[in-house]
Amino acid sequence: MGDSQYSFSLTTFSPSGKLVQIEHALTAVGSGQTSLGIKAANGVVIATEKKLPSILVDETSVQKIQSLTPNIGVVYSGMGPDFRVLVRKSRKQAQQYYRLYKETIPVTQLVRETAAVMQEFTQSGGVRPFGVSLLIAGYDDNGPQLYQVDPSGSYFSWKASAMGKNVSNAKTFLEKRYTEDMELDDAIHTAILTLKEGYEGQISANNIEIGVIRADREFKVLTPAEIKDFLEEVE
Amino acid sequence: MSIFEYNGSAVVAMVGKNCFAIASDRRLGVQLQTVATDFQRVFKIHGKLYIGLSGLASDAQTLYQRLVFKHKLYQLREERDMKPETFASLVSSMLYEKRFGPYFCQPIIAGLGQDDEPFICTMDCIGAKELAKDFVVSGTASESLYGACESMYKPNMEPEELFETISQALLSSVDRDCLSGWGGYVLIVTATEVQERVLKGRMD
Amino acid sequence: MAGSMELPTKGGFSFDLCRRNAMLEKTGHKMPGFRKTGTTIVGLVFTDGVVLGADTRATEGPIVADKNCEKIHFMAPNIYCCGAGTAADTEAVTDMVSSQLQLHRYATSRESRVVTALTLLKTHLFNYQGHVSAALVLGGVDVTGPHLHTVYPHGSTDTLPFATMGSGSLAAMSVFELKYREGLTREEGIALVAEAIRAGIFNDLGSGSNVDVCVITKGNTEYLRNHELPNPRTFVSSKGYSFNKGHTEVLSTKITQLKLKPEVADGDAMEE
Repeated sequence: MGDSQYSFSLTTFSPSGKLVQIEHALTAVGSGQTSLGIKAANGVVIATEKKLPSILVDETSVQKIQSLTPNIGVVYSGMGPDFRVLVRKSRKQAQQYYRLYKETIPVTQLVRETAAVMQEFTQSGGVRPFGVSLLIAGYDDNGPQLYQVDPSGSYFSWKASAMGKNVSNAKTFLEKRYTEDMELDDAIHTAILTLKEGYEGQISANNIEIGVIRADREFKVLTPAEIKDFLEEVE
Repeated sequence: MSIFEYNGSAVVAMVGKNCFAIASDRRLGVQLQTVATDFQRVFKIHGKLYIGLSGLASDAQTLYQRLVFKHKLYQLREERDMKPETFASLVSSMLYEKRFGPYFCQPIIAGLGQDDEPFICTMDCIGAKELAKDFVVSGTASESLYGACESMYKPNMEPEELFETISQALLSSVDRDCLSGWGGYVLIVTATEVQERVLKGRMD
Repeated sequence: MAGSMELPTKGGFSFDLCRRNAMLEKTGHKMPGFRKTGTTIVGLVFTDGVVLGADTRATEGPIVADKNCEKIHFMAPNIYCCGAGTAADTEAVTDMVSSQLQLHRYATSRESRVVTALTLLKTHLFNYQGHVSAALVLGGVDVTGPHLHTVYPHGSTDTLPFATMGSGSLAAMSVFELKYREGLTREEGIALVAEAIRAGIFNDLGSGSNVDVCVITKGNTEYLRNHELPNPRTFVSSKGYSFNKGHTEVLSTKITQLKLKPEVADGDAMEE
């Protein structure tokens, strides 16, 4: 960075003090598919809808929830290709931390590092901000955690949050349903119900994705069969 | 003469029952001439974590400064103290980075980890870690320290007995090494307190 | 150091001290030796997998630095690697490749292959022209079956049904040459590996202490740490030495109480 022809930053202040590029990036996130996350007493669940542009697309080839380390998973709303770049960078960061300290990276540290990358892309020359917001779910010595990272590089810890197309409806829904002492299975049901609320069409095991992490600290992306079981419980 | 023998040193650490001890001699020499008799080779990283650096004195001090720097940044970043295991890995990485132009130091790391479990380890000057459950030694007196510790060490010693044992092991070992000695410095660390003692030794 | 402010490490080696060290060497100060794993490491292929074995002695010149060290390193859940040579190098090179394999597994969502590990190891070692002195026995089971390789410090590799490395390799190889055959069972494989390591332990002075074994089969890995302990301690007194309190002459004492639980104020969330 910095050695390209456009070595100045494309993200510059407007006279009113806004960074319009970042606002555009947030618009891209806002029009992306809905994702949400809920932190329960004994784990975290993240979920997203997986709407494909055509029925001809092989849905098994799309994987929107990814794991960053064995105990940290992530989901996004916004642009898929940008997400892949961030996942690659975060995984590498986690490995670098491990190789230095021989200890798995704490969730807060990985979130901070990922946010730092996103911030860098709002200030560097020749690049644009990432068109994604992330929900990062993890479980470490500090218990279950859920973080959201935005294109500006700011990050927040949530009890439950949503982003993408149906944010405000989804958040209102979560606010109504959320309780502090919620168990993880409850949280998965709530996650499914929230997705269902805003979904245009019928949700099925193949057009949503769910990732969970429990006290065993193993992040797992549920298989369509496992999702189907939860869907049946909800109905 | 090896560069490790330029200043002379003896460092040792032992594990006791819910406590540990780390000790060193106090001599700083230039080859066979003694320059100082109050030289510090054991350094504090935080209340329950210490590092002893044998070998070339200048490298020991430089390495210590870099380690404090890195540990302080870690504390600010992660809002916690480093675990001894984590710190040992950090030291190992820093030494291995200079694989082809090493610091002439052989560190000993001793600390209380989670649940105040004692941890000791040593490594060579390029960061090959060696974890031990009983004792670790380094410096020009290491050969005699191996012998002394091997026979004097007992598992599960209480702090008072641990102090006597490590002190006797250190003093008897440096008496068989021309390059180290001139008193000893011993730290006994338990979950609640740190005892710091200066030992009287031979002055020859 | 490059600047007055130290930058975080980006990885790779630093050659800052090379000139100084060369100068010291020229003025007659010998460079130190490094901790070696004067070693016996072996591996063999049996009917449905691979057995790796190692002794547990680490040496520094003629001194035994560690009586029970670990020489079988984790590479991937289905691949392990025995290391001989400079201890720091074997540790560092296997850790680095294991990290690369982990990232590769994330990227491909597939089990690592032994040849991938082999290629990563040999390219690194070849790049350093033998200066990274790691001699390895690499073994594992992947989608294409069981594999066993040896890697030399200069980056050359062999693919073999049975292999030995390190200072005790000749002693161990004599056992393999005599008794290895195709179609060994798991138990026969473990027994043969243990026998080869014992040959190293007892006939090579650089090797000693215990026998570590690692058995890898399709979908299962068993790490038998200290599988055999042929050299128990014989010399320790049952009573041990005891010193009376106040035996050592103390010049000064300082006692510092440690705070039990340091209060850490909750950090405020960063503002947007």
